Formats: sequence, structure tokens, C-alpha cells
Amino acid sequence: MEGREFDAQVVLSPKDSPLGQVLDRYVCVRVVRMDDVNIGLFDRDWNNAIYFFVLNADEQIYMRYGGRESESPDTYNSLDSLRIALEQGLALHQKYLGGSLPTEPRPKPRFPREMPLLVARTFAQNQCVECHLIGDFQNIQRDRDGVLDKLTHLYRSPDIKTIGIFLDVPKGLVVKQTTGAVAAAGLKPGDRITSWNGVPVWTFGDVQYRYDKVDRHAKSIKIGIDRGGHATELTVELPPRWWWTDLRFRQSSVEPRTDFEDRPLTADQKQRLGLKTDGFASEVKYIPQMTKVRGTHDLRVGDVVAAVNGVESDALANTADLYLKLYLKAGESAKLDVIRAGKRITLPIHTYSLSFRK
Amino acid sequence: MIRLIALIAFLSPVAFAQEQLTDWLSDYREALKVAKQTSKPILLEFRCEA
Repeated sequence: MEGREFDAQVVLSPKDSPLGQVLDRYVCVRVVRMDDVNIGLFDRDWNNAIYFFVLNADEQIYMRYGGRESESPDTYNSLDSLRIALEQGLALHQKYLGGSLPTEPRPKPRFPREMPLLVARTFAQNQCVECHLIGDFQNIQRDRDGVLDKLTHLYRSPDIKTIGIFLDVPKGLVVKQTTGAVAAAGLKPGDRITSWNGVPVWTFGDVQYRYDKVDRHAKSIKIGIDRGGHATELTVELPPRWWWTDLRFRQSSVEPRTDFEDRPLTADQKQRLGLKTDGFASEVKYIPQMTKVRGTHDLRVGDVVAAVNGVESDALANTADLYLKLYLKAGESAKLDVIRAGKRITLPIHTYSLSFRK
Repeated sequence: MIRLIALIAFLSPVAFAQEQLTDWLSDYREALKVAKQTSKPILLEFRCEA
């Protein structure tokens, strides 16, 4: 189960351990049912099975701790970084008690019982309101209401590794290694990230939450850092598809399932096949076994999908699969232009939505 | 006999060790009250166990 070991390590911390000594200065509460949680105040990416907030008795949130990447739910969980975060939380609390901590506008309260789909399909059947269901039903409702913004609502929690940030996880927001966009902007190993687009951040959970709030069409972000005691701010030019993450660990059910995985062709490969170099032509790399049973398509591994419904290029998509996910609704069909063994053929694809148990 | 087993369990090292673990509440409203009374901050964990 996601986060089980970390959960146990935190909750069963001996009082005399480094973490236990800090926890003793907090009122610790562990909530396992989401039924009555104010999801407006405690907004987050709901595909995290373990997540922490540090706040005060007036429900002013100081920081978040948690968050995951597609590859693993536990990459950013560490007892050391939690202890560092909680020590920073104590300092913020002293400011609050002294009246010097700035306040933010409080989000509108919202509760799971106000979500019609959750009421009908979970509460009414006396089932547990699992965290991911809140996110799933939010997206299903948005889809029904025609307000689903796929870039923002499907591709939640952009991955900081995509822009080249690799953290020294036990040290919190201290950078271990940089590549790509952030390296070009001047971020260096040993820097400590202190703000994200002007908002102070204390943990990876804060960074991921603030990164998720960035407009998906933004061209740059500002990252505040502490370098050897000196504060500075870097402007990072965002690369194409900085927002993209692997959706496979999510059960969101609203994106069209395509039953294939692909990789973009290189410019040279496209040229050799006589395709547009700026197109999203991609090679099929994997097809699930159940595809035939579902009747999704007749693609084969090695096929090149050159176009979808006659479209070969797109400002956002770099593969045919991404194009389908961005522009089709689950259940819709499309026509694929496919190159198989040097010959062009046309194949239909019938997408579907994932049906999950609740 | 049951009392003896309970006494042994109570006096065992495991029992002592368990008493030294961090205290956790399970009721968020209660946590707010305790935080108000003690002027402590709150660490709130959401754990989805399903």
C-alpha cells in the first residue's frame, strides 16, 4: 500500500527520537476518513494516499508535506525532511503567536457531501470516501459540466524533474543535481529553494502544490533560492510540455484510454518516412493484452502513427497518444493514419473510459 | 490467570516502549481545541488506507 511504511514510521515515532522530539511540540492528528474534511481548505492532489498539513488552531496553513511523482509514491517522503519541515513550522508558529505572520485569504469551505456524484455513488452505498475518489469525481463532474481543462485538471502536479530539479530529499528543498531548464537558469547543486513564483515554500509538498497552480500556458516561472546565505531569484524558461506527467498511476477515469504506449519519432526518422518534422508521429511501443478483447484498435508494436483524423501536428502534443488524450473525450473514436512495414494504412481507434469500482 | 497475563504484558518492555510513542489524536475538531488550549501548532495527517 502506498505510503504504508512511511506512515508507520511517523505515527510510531518514539518520543525520544529526533522526529519524536519535534512531534511532541505539535498536536498530532491522523484522519483516515475524508467524509467530513473541508476539501476547500485542504485542497491537494487527491492521488496521494498520505499527505500532511502544518497549521494552527485558526486553521491557517503554514505548509504541506507530501506529494509524489509518477514513478513512485514515496520518492519525496523522508523522516529527516519531515523533521526539518516541522522545525520550520515551529518557527512560523512563533511568528503567528507574535502576530507577525502574514495571512492569506481563506479558501471557500467545501465538503465531500456537496459533490453529487460522490453522494450518489459512494455515500449512498455506505462506502469509504477514498482520497482519490474526491479527485476522480471532481474531474468527472467537470467533464460533464464542460469545464474540464485537461492540461490543468488531468495533468496535475507537474514533475520538477522535467525542468531539471533533483532534490537532496532528506535535506528538504536543498538541490542535489540540476539539468535542463533550471541549469540554464543558473540553479546549482547546494542551492535551497525558498519560493516558487513569489510564494514562500518550505517543503516539496509546497513546491508541488504551487507548481500545480502555474498556468499551463506560462512560458517561465520564478524560483527563489538561498545560496550560501544569499537570497536570489532565478527566472526559468519552461520547456514544451513541462506540465506533462505519466497518468498511469491515476484512476481519474476521464481521459480517453487508448490501449497503446508510444514514443515520438526523431526529426531524422520523420524525414526518412516523408513526414512533417514538427508533427507528432510516434512509434507504438506497447499494447496491453486486453486490447483485442476490448476492440480498441488493431495497432501493432512497431507501427508508426502519423496522423489522427488527418491531423499531423499540434502545438501541444508530441505523440499520437497525447494528441488523442488531449482532444478526444473518452468513448469517442478516431481514424489513425498508420505506417506499417513501409505501407500507409488507415485504422480506427475506439477510446474508452476506465470504469472503476466506485 | 488472565490478571497475571495482563500484568506481565503491562510490565513487559514492549508495553514500556509503546508508552513512549508519540501521541496522535484521530478527531480533527478535538485537535483544534487542544491546539487552542496549548498554543501548539497542529500536524494533520491524511491517510487513505483503502
